[in-house]
Amino acid sequence: MIDRVLVRTYLVQSLLLWAACATTLFAFAWVRVWVSSLIDMGQFRTIVEQFRDFERFAPIGFDALFTHTGRIGMTFDEPIVILCTVVWAIARGSDVVSGELGRGTLEMLLAQPISRTKLLLSHAAVATAGLASIVLALWAGMAIGVARTEVTETVPPPSLRIPFTAFELPLTMAGPTQESFPMSSVVNPYDFAAGVFSLFALGFFVLGLSTLLSCLDRYRWRTIGLVLSIYIFQLVIYGLGKAADRLSWLQGWSFFNWYRPQKQIAEVAGGGWAAPWRWTGPDADSWFGPGVYPWLLIGGGLLFYLLGIIAFRRRDLPAPL
Amino acid sequence: MTSTAIHPSSPASPPGEAPAVWTQGLGKRYGNFDALNDLTLEIARGEVFGLLGPNGAGKTTFLRTLLGYLRRTSGSAEVLGIDPEVDPVGVRRFVSYLPGDARLPRQLRGHAVLRFFADIRPDGDLENALAIADRLELDLRRHVGFMSTGMRQKLAIAAVIGTRSQVLILDEPTANLDPTIRSRVLELVLETKREGRTVIFSSHVLSEIEEVCDRVALLRQGRLALHQKLAELRARHRILATRMSTTPGAAASLPAVPPELAESISQVAFDGPELMIETVGDLAPVLGWLASLDLTKVRAETFGLRAVYDSVHHHEAVSV
Repeated sequence: MIDRVLVRTYLVQSLLLWAACATTLFAFAWVRVWVSSLIDMGQFRTIVEQFRDFERFAPIGFDALFTHTGRIGMTFDEPIVILCTVVWAIARGSDVVSGELGRGTLEMLLAQPISRTKLLLSHAAVATAGLASIVLALWAGMAIGVARTEVTETVPPPSLRIPFTAFELPLTMAGPTQESFPMSSVVNPYDFAAGVFSLFALGFFVLGLSTLLSCLDRYRWRTIGLVLSIYIFQLVIYGLGKAADRLSWLQGWSFFNWYRPQKQIAEVAGGGWAAPWRWTGPDADSWFGPGVYPWLLIGGGLLFYLLGIIAFRRRDLPAPL
Repeated sequence: MTSTAIHPSSPASPPGEAPAVWTQGLGKRYGNFDALNDLTLEIARGEVFGLLGPNGAGKTTFLRTLLGYLRRTSGSAEVLGIDPEVDPVGVRRFVSYLPGDARLPRQLRGHAVLRFFADIRPDGDLENALAIADRLELDLRRHVGFMSTGMRQKLAIAAVIGTRSQVLILDEPTANLDPTIRSRVLELVLETKREGRTVIFSSHVLSEIEEVCDRVALLRQGRLALHQKLAELRARHRILATRMSTTPGAAASLPAVPPELAESISQVAFDGPELMIETVGDLAPVLGWLASLDLTKVRAETFGLRAVYDSVHHHEAVSV
């Protein structure tokens, strides 16, 4: 299925990019947990409440964000996290055929007794393992961040709400107190497992798409341009679908609709660790559970790979440029 | 010119003894353009076979079709009895290919490139590749990205000829090389032949083809224009002379070719006082007859590939 020598070559080829992406994601996740601990939850709530009118643009309801797990879960929708994942996927996927064709190295590579399918699968093995390891690096950064961070929160003095009024009557004359505790006492890194898988699935979808277009093309710059065009188009229609109720149907035509890490993480709070992986909805109104969506992305990526293999096997190999 | 080849899979020629390359009516068409057209050819095992032709004649298309890079649009092809379209990996298991513009991974050092190609092939031989690189005076510590064009070519040659493949396909192997290294590459080709391996040698340098090849095929506009045994070509001569008498009736007074020399003289042509005679085989009997003619400034030259090539290239009739 895969060739050991090719795998070794692809590992060497991709090592620098992998190190850059993995380090960035690891460090960013750690720093982001720490930054999250710097903002008092009460202040955070106050800030977020100002934007309640724009809640529909957010990946999940604001109420789910008023927990430390929810706030750290926002990491999965941070542009830098998406960027690193997508950069890895596009860089590696676009390189496999059109990149090698552009450099002229495919001619000698395919002169060896290796089938085109084996070449693609060897490349896919390295690219997918690399993708898995960079999202695991993100998770590791989050886990270490959670383990090493201490949270300080302001605890208001005990008070009594007078029934039928909004008036709070303080029970003591003491001011608010500062309370410190380890982040790990309120956040379990395993809660993010479904989010990590979702990020991997998004990356795999883009990797498959890039590979397919690379298999069809002979210029890597054009492959990258096409993937980015599709990516941006999908992002735009997803945004439009969120912005206007009458355009909400557009969301169904965007693969970003299948990327729901924060919703999956929020499920843990109500249903335990198994909840984000459910394939069926919690009630009759929702057909699919949150666990379906990452698999839709992975299924799409696999379909692209299959089409890529078919296209690459059938095409004439153009002479080097 | 085409010839009919015996099918290698026929009972007379079982797959184990199939020719190195066999094609019958091979064609490759791009839209309205025929890159290859009705190419019928057979290359025997153990010979060095030259491919000649102007740019765009179809040489590289032919080679890439044999390797399974391109899907033929008509005809049949087999390499060592294996159809490259059905089992391209099977073909490449026994064939090493040096592309006309060989490009290698720029991030690797020379040694790593040779190790890669030795490891990836079942018939790879790192020691042999290293020895060839040494003969070609190649510094293997350098990254490919920092090598000159000639160094990269030498590295590719070491990687390809260093294998123990039964068939070597070399597309312009001496391009970008200095004269010393060129002659070493030609030596390597001849050594490969002595080992009983087959070499398909595509080049624009006629002298190299003449030096190493047993047979040569000339392609023009995707068709096989001519194929020629080099040994026969080497036995042919062209004699140029000036007739002493240049009177208008002199041509008619030129004696006819004696019947005993009819086999040895293939063509006699004159343009005013200038006379040209083409001979086949031993020159001695012809010299006697020439001495009886009223000639001066006689000179004899071997009938080189240049003359054949020019004739084909300029669509002139050529007697072979």
